[in-house]
Amino acid sequence: MLAVDVPVTGSPYVAQTIRNGVGLAVDRLDRGGGVTVGSRKYKLKVKLYDNHLSARRAVEDTREALKAGAVAIVTDGTGVPATWQLAEKKGVPIAITYDGATGLVNPVTRPNVFRIAPTSHGIALRYAEYLIPKGMKIGLLHDDSAYGQEGASDLDSAFSENPRSVALRMTLPAGATDLSAQILRARRSGATALLVWGQPSTIAAVLTAARTIGWQVPVYTPPTGSDPFIRQRLADHPDWVDGLTFASGRMTAEVGPAPFQSFESQYEATYGPDKVGVRNSHGQGVVQPPEFPMYSYDFVNLLIAALTHAGSVDPHKVQAALNQVTTQGANGDDRSFNVHNHEGVIDDDIYFARFHDMTYAPVTDDPLSSTLPKIKQTR
Amino acid sequence: MRRLVPTGASLAAAALVLGGTAAAARQPTQQIVLPGPVPYPTVSPPVTGNVALPRSYLLRLGIASAQRVLVGVDGTGRAVALHVQQRLVVSGKGDYQFAIGGPVVDVRAAPGSESEPGLRTDQVLWAGFSPGRKVLAADITLRAAPVARYLPVRLHIGRDGDRVTLTVVNATRAPGVAYTGFARTADLATLLDSTRRASLSGSRLQAAFATFSGTVHARKTAAEAPLRVVGELSLPGGRPVRFARTLGDGAPLSLTVRAHGTGEPKVLLRVSPAPVVRLLRPPGAATWTAAVLKHSLPPAFLLRRLFESRLRLVRADQYQSFLADPDADGVSRSVYVYATVKAAPAPVAEADTSTGGGNDILVIVLVAAVSLVAAAGGIVVWAHS
Repeated sequence: MLAVDVPVTGSPYVAQTIRNGVGLAVDRLDRGGGVTVGSRKYKLKVKLYDNHLSARRAVEDTREALKAGAVAIVTDGTGVPATWQLAEKKGVPIAITYDGATGLVNPVTRPNVFRIAPTSHGIALRYAEYLIPKGMKIGLLHDDSAYGQEGASDLDSAFSENPRSVALRMTLPAGATDLSAQILRARRSGATALLVWGQPSTIAAVLTAARTIGWQVPVYTPPTGSDPFIRQRLADHPDWVDGLTFASGRMTAEVGPAPFQSFESQYEATYGPDKVGVRNSHGQGVVQPPEFPMYSYDFVNLLIAALTHAGSVDPHKVQAALNQVTTQGANGDDRSFNVHNHEGVIDDDIYFARFHDMTYAPVTDDPLSSTLPKIKQTR
Repeated sequence: MRRLVPTGASLAAAALVLGGTAAAARQPTQQIVLPGPVPYPTVSPPVTGNVALPRSYLLRLGIASAQRVLVGVDGTGRAVALHVQQRLVVSGKGDYQFAIGGPVVDVRAAPGSESEPGLRTDQVLWAGFSPGRKVLAADITLRAAPVARYLPVRLHIGRDGDRVTLTVVNATRAPGVAYTGFARTADLATLLDSTRRASLSGSRLQAAFATFSGTVHARKTAAEAPLRVVGELSLPGGRPVRFARTLGDGAPLSLTVRAHGTGEPKVLLRVSPAPVVRLLRPPGAATWTAAVLKHSLPPAFLLRRLFESRLRLVRADQYQSFLADPDADGVSRSVYVYATVKAAPAPVAEADTSTGGGNDILVIVLVAAVSLVAAAGGIVVWAHS
C-alpha cells in the first residue's frame, strides 16, 4: 500500500497535484501488470489521507498508514519533522513532493526522507546568482507563514555575502489583502526589485499594492508565484501579472520537450487539463502545466524501481534501494537519489520563468533558462 | 658524434630487410595501424567497481580530469589506503550526468567544487548543468585491496640492521603486439618525428598507420609506462635521502635507495607518467628525418623503435586516468603520491557513511605529505597545473 498524505482540505490544489501524479504512475503500473518483486508480482494500492495542513493530523495519518502496512508515504511535506521518526522506526520511506523547505531532508539524520521538488535553499542560491550581477537593490520580503519564514532564512544565507545588494528585509502578514503601507516603505528604501517569499495570496497582494501606486518594480518569487491563485486574483488586471518572475524546477531536459509533452498528454487524458480559470488576451483558456504532479509521478516510478532492485517489500530494503536506482523522469532527465543526496531536484535544475499575458516562459538572461523551451499553456 | 652501433641481431634484421627490399617493393602494400591512442593493453586503469554504471549524458560538453592519487603504505611498502582527489572541469554549456566507477567507500566535495557529488555502491555521481564552465571536485576514498595492483609502482621497504632499503619498481609493464616487415625509411622517420612531437608536448597520440610492403609478421612484446619518480627516504634524526629518476623509457624499471639509522622509516614518493624521451631521441640529428639522411639507420631498427615508443606512450596515457575521465577524448592527468602511514585504517562500512574519522586523518596525513614533497621539489598542487 502506498499512502498519500496531502492537504485535501487545507490546500486542495497542492493535494490534487500530488494525488494525480501518484495516481497516474500507479495506473500505468497496473496496466503493465504490476511490479515484480523477487518472484512475485504486486500491485500498488493507493490510500489517501488528508492532513489538513496540520502537523498533528499528519502524525495521526502516518500512524494509520504504518498500521495499514504502507510501503512508502508520499506527502506535500506537512508535519514531516514530526512524522519521519515514526516512519523510520519501521523503515518506511517518506517522499516530499511539494515543500522545498530546508531542513526537512537530511540523508544522515533522516535517512528515510526523500524529496522530489525544488528546494528553497537551491532557489535562494539561484536567485542570488541571478539577481546580484544585475546590480539591483533588492527588497527581500517574506510573509509570516512557516513557508515564508523558512524561505527568508534561506534568502538571508544566500545574500549574506552581498549585503549591498539588499535594500531592505521585511515581514508581511500572511493573508493580508492590503499591503500598501509595506510596499510604500519598500519603495522608499530604494529597492529596485522585490523578491517575495510567501503564499500565493501574499504575492498577489504585493503585486496589487505595487501596481496600484504605479510602481512597476520587478517582482521575483519562489514556485508559489506560478500558483493559479495569483492569476485568478488578478484576472481583472492581467498587466499586473506581466513581468512576474518565479523560480521552479525545469520541466524539460536537454533532450527537448517531447518527454514532458508525452507525460502532459497522459495526464490530461486521465484527469483533464489543470485549468487556471483565466484567459489570455486572445481569449484562449490558460492551463497549468503539470509540473508538481510530475514529481509525485517520478517518485512512484523510483519506488517501483527500488522494489524491484530490493527484491523485497521489506521497507528497510526498499529504503536502501532508493539510494541505488535511477529512472527516467517525466521530463526526460534521469531521476535518482543516492547515499549522500536525497534531493531529486538538484539546484542546477532550477530555472526562472516570467509571465506575459497570463502564461509564462523561461527567461532568456539566465544560462540554464535560456536553453529551455516554452511549454504551451493554452487550450 | 654519437653513432648508432647496431647489434648483431639488428644487423641481421637489417640485412634481411635490405635483402628483401627489391622483392618487397613489388609486393602489394598494406597499412598497419600503429599503437595509440587506444586501445590500452589492459582493462584497468581506470579502475572499475562491481556494478554497471548508469548511462551518461555529456552532449556538447568536454571534461578535463586532474587526479591526485594518495597512496598510504605500511612499513613494508604495501598499499593499505587509497584516496583520490579528482578535479573535473566541464567546458561547454549544457546538461551533464555521469558516474565514475571504482571501489568507492565514500566521497565528499573537495574545495572549489561547484556541485556536490553523489554516492552509490561503487559509483561517484555527478549531474547538473554547466553554464559554460563548471568545476567538479571530489575527495574519494577507495578500498585499497581491489585496486592496489593497478598502481604504477610497487614499493618494498626492508631493514637489515641499521640499514633500510627502499625499492621502487615500475609495475606498469604490459604485453603488446609489434609488427615486422618492410616499410620505407622516410615514412618511418616521419612517424617517429610526429610521435616524438606528441610525446614531448604531452599530448595524446594521434591515430596513425604505417605502410608495409610484402609479408608482415606480428610479434609479442611488452612495454611499460615511463614513470618520473621523485621522493625521499628518511629515518628519525637523519637527513632524508632524496632521489629522482625515470623508471622505463630505456632506463631500468626499478631503483633502490638506502638509508642508515634506527626507527620507523618514512617514505614519500611522487610518481607521474612521463613522456618517452630517450627512446625517441634521434641519433646524431635534430629529427629522425634528418637522422636517416645523415646515417644509415636500419628500417627494422626504426620500426622497432616506433612500436616500442608508441606502446609506452599508450601505457603512460592509460596511467593518466586512475579513475575514469567520463569524456574519453578529454585531457586527463594523474599524479600518484605514496607516503608511509602509521596503520591501515579499517574500511568504512558502506551503510555507515557518517563515520570515517580514520580516513579523514589519513587524508590529512597524506595531504601534509604532498605539501612536503611540493615544498621540497616544487611540485604543483594539482596534477595538471
